[in-house]
Amino acid sequence: MRIRAFPMTMDERYVENIWSLLKNAIQEIQKKNNSGLSFEELYRNAYTMVLHKHGERLYNGLREVVTHHLESKVRQDVLASLNNNFLQILNQAWNDHQTSMVMIRDILMYMDRVYVQQNNVDNVYNLGLIIFRDQVVRYGGIRDHLRHILLEMVVRERKGEVADKLSVRAACQMLMVLGIDSRAVYEEDFERPFLSQSAEFYRSESQRFLGENSASVYIKKVEARINEESERAKHYLDESTEQRIVAVVEEELIQKHMKTIVEMENSGVVHMLKCQKTDDLHCMYKLLGRVADGLRTMASCVSAHLREEGKALVNVDESGANALNFVQSLLDLKDRYDTFLGKSFVNDPIFKKMISSDFEYFLNLNLKSPEYLSLFIDDKLKKGVKGMTEQDIELVLDKTMVLFRFLQEKDIFERYYKQHLAKRLLLNKSVSDDSEKNMISKLKTECGCQFTSKLEGMFKDMSISNMLMEDFKNHIQTSGTSLYGVDLSVRVLTTGFWPTQSSATCTLPLAPRNAFEVFRRFYLAKHSGRQLTLQPALGSADLSAIFYGPRREESETKEKADGPSSSTPTSASANGPRKHIISVSTYQMCILMLFNTRDRLTYEDIMNETDVPKKDLDRALQSLAMGKPTQRVLVKSPKGKDILPSSIFAVNDSFTSKLHRVKIQTVAAKGESEPERKETRSKVDEDRKHEIEAAIVRIMKARKTMQHNLLVSEVTEQLKSRFLPSPVIIKKRIEGLIEREYLARTPEDRKVYTYVA
Amino acid sequence: MDLGEDVSSLFGKRSKTSSNSTVNRSRTKGTEEAPTVFNQKKCNAWFRQYSTPSSPDTIGPEGVEMFCRDLNVEPENIALLVLSWKMGAKQMGYFTLQEWLLGLTDLQCDSLAKLQAKLNYLHSLLLDSSHFKSIYRYAFDFSRDKDQRSLDIETAKAMLGLLLGRQWSLLNSFFQFLDQSRYRVLNKDQWCNVLEFSRAVDVDLKNYDVDGAWPVMLDEFVEWLKVNRGESNIQ
Repeated sequence: MRIRAFPMTMDERYVENIWSLLKNAIQEIQKKNNSGLSFEELYRNAYTMVLHKHGERLYNGLREVVTHHLESKVRQDVLASLNNNFLQILNQAWNDHQTSMVMIRDILMYMDRVYVQQNNVDNVYNLGLIIFRDQVVRYGGIRDHLRHILLEMVVRERKGEVADKLSVRAACQMLMVLGIDSRAVYEEDFERPFLSQSAEFYRSESQRFLGENSASVYIKKVEARINEESERAKHYLDESTEQRIVAVVEEELIQKHMKTIVEMENSGVVHMLKCQKTDDLHCMYKLLGRVADGLRTMASCVSAHLREEGKALVNVDESGANALNFVQSLLDLKDRYDTFLGKSFVNDPIFKKMISSDFEYFLNLNLKSPEYLSLFIDDKLKKGVKGMTEQDIELVLDKTMVLFRFLQEKDIFERYYKQHLAKRLLLNKSVSDDSEKNMISKLKTECGCQFTSKLEGMFKDMSISNMLMEDFKNHIQTSGTSLYGVDLSVRVLTTGFWPTQSSATCTLPLAPRNAFEVFRRFYLAKHSGRQLTLQPALGSADLSAIFYGPRREESETKEKADGPSSSTPTSASANGPRKHIISVSTYQMCILMLFNTRDRLTYEDIMNETDVPKKDLDRALQSLAMGKPTQRVLVKSPKGKDILPSSIFAVNDSFTSKLHRVKIQTVAAKGESEPERKETRSKVDEDRKHEIEAAIVRIMKARKTMQHNLLVSEVTEQLKSRFLPSPVIIKKRIEGLIEREYLARTPEDRKVYTYVA
Repeated sequence: MDLGEDVSSLFGKRSKTSSNSTVNRSRTKGTEEAPTVFNQKKCNAWFRQYSTPSSPDTIGPEGVEMFCRDLNVEPENIALLVLSWKMGAKQMGYFTLQEWLLGLTDLQCDSLAKLQAKLNYLHSLLLDSSHFKSIYRYAFDFSRDKDQRSLDIETAKAMLGLLLGRQWSLLNSFFQFLDQSRYRVLNKDQWCNVLEFSRAVDVDLKNYDVDGAWPVMLDEFVEWLKVNRGESNIQ
């Protein structure tokens, strides 16, 4: 068998024939008449042409035929249908084209593999796409009309009308495919105009919505639109459009109107906050979270409103101020906003931080906040807290600690806390040692040991005093010493631990005075070298009193209603002398004992004989003479609110009380009076001076030299857990230390200090 | 403002006599002397012309006054301050023998004539910036009351006028500020910083650095000045 060499040359006629054959076939395919064609024959012919180096001719011929067909037939058909089923016709044309191109490609596959590769031209299928794109889809009238129709469909759908979604989808897919390896065709021919039309649309819609609706309704509508556009893009346009169209909606409906939405009268953020609309706030939060700065806009609106609310609570004037209400209202406010934080703002750190800084801001606007906080805690730690279980109290105290953290002047709080604790311990008012210690450990966690070590010292003094009294009682019994009829109980306080009291003394009545001397001798025998000073401001006394006068008149109705209750177990018959035990303060004891020898005394007399400081004397007399009828052990004349030097006091012979033991309440503690407050402030300022200087010296000793600004910021940093010193004050302290030669300026640079050893 | 009066009245205060001094009387010879080498003994003897028998090693305020007259120099002349500085004199109005010898030996003067010839030189020392600073600082300790740490404000103003009167245009404003302030004394740190301030800060205060670690008093001065010039909104 002889293998014949393949004929390498072909004559022109032969080539022409092959080409005609192929051309015809292609045309038939395009006419959808492919059934009579032989795939094998056509493939072979194409193969032959390419093999004999006529690929170019084949390629160009292909291009011509396809172009011609699309130009003269397909395009015309499509143009004819412009106003009549345009999309369907176009889609049909597209499908037909794809089908035929697939077949054509199959026939010409050898050309694709060899000629196309070698010459880096578009492959058959892509070539077909390009021609279809340029000759049909992007042909002037068709291109415009296509865009127009697609956009109109969208408009209709947005209005809620029915539109031919499937055709739209098919058209969009076609455009995507026609981009070959990019989405450029889709983008230019459809998406871009679509997005800009949508922007227009939403621009006007936003005006309409805003004009008609409340914020919450607006938000829901926006969400609905976003969802709608999202769905549309996903299912009927191209998926990649979703992100872009949603961005357009967000821009037009949200971004551009953020402030308007947030600040809408009677329905915006402020309204939602006032009416506790946590869900609405949450919807707004989600919506605004979509755009840049949306949350910040919302947060600043919330913050402004919170600050206003806080300021209103905090700026109570002097007369109306009640520490307990003050703190409770702030706790309630915090609770409300914590709820918002959790439910509406999903614990977003932006909001969390902002709420904290707002609380810090307005809490410190009122300079009495530290005092009030201490009074509030004091109230919860005293006996007789009504309606709260231990757990309730624990919870409230934890919340109070949160407020405490916001205080800038913690050292002032410390001072008041010590005072109040001292009162609780000495007057035996603590509900329990455990709850006190619990509170102290909370403070320790916040403030460190320095704060709590003195408080713990106070507790120790109490227990030592108890033991001391035991010893003293034994001593009295065994030695038989007289205590002048006084049942004495002494608490010895170490000066450094307890809040400094004004060392005012008063003139004690003889019996207690002598009794105390007995104790003093006893104590100093045990601890020589110590000094004992009586603190009358902190003491209390129980006095046995007998009232000889007729009973106080009770109101008629009361007499009828509770007849039997008017007699007390140990009193004598209705008109006999009545015995009571009166619990009073030391000062009050001094006052009352005077009346054992005198019937009536003027204010001046009392002042001279007892030597009680005026402010305390006034308070004591008020409680004794001007309180509730069941407390009025003394009477004052003339009647009236004022205590004048000439006012006359006498025993209230008609004093009547249901109780055998009567506790005289001191006038309600509204906190300190102005002069007391000023004194506390100045003490605090003194202490601060020392603390600042100590900090400066500490830092300079360690660093030896330091630049001014650095030193100021270090000092501030070190002290910030106690209070916030201003840079001017720190500078003044530095100057003081320079003058006392602890520090000096370096000669080279006056802004740098050195430590002088 | 008559600074001369203030400074001389200070000298006057120290000496407890009123000074009606004119500068005419000359106790020693106005004759020119032939230039001779410095003689310590001569210097010593010269000292004794002004000290008193009761305190032979110290020239007191009256002696100083006489010395000034002989020298033909007003007591408030700044040359005297420079001379005191050269001597390391501790107390205004007094020269100890040690101080006298120290200063005059350095200047190589053992007679009035020689010293008079050196007066220009003393003035010239003020032109050198670091000498001036040294003299300025010295002035504080020199003029203060030795049992006080700070300088009372009237004396301070007088000394400042003497030292800075011609070179710091804000001096008068500074005095006004002090008058209306609560400051009654100046401490050393404030004193030294006034000089630095006068050298570093422009009249228009534009380059005043708030973080410049200036003493609080100068911060307040700047604030006051700005308010007075209507440049500040702070009340």
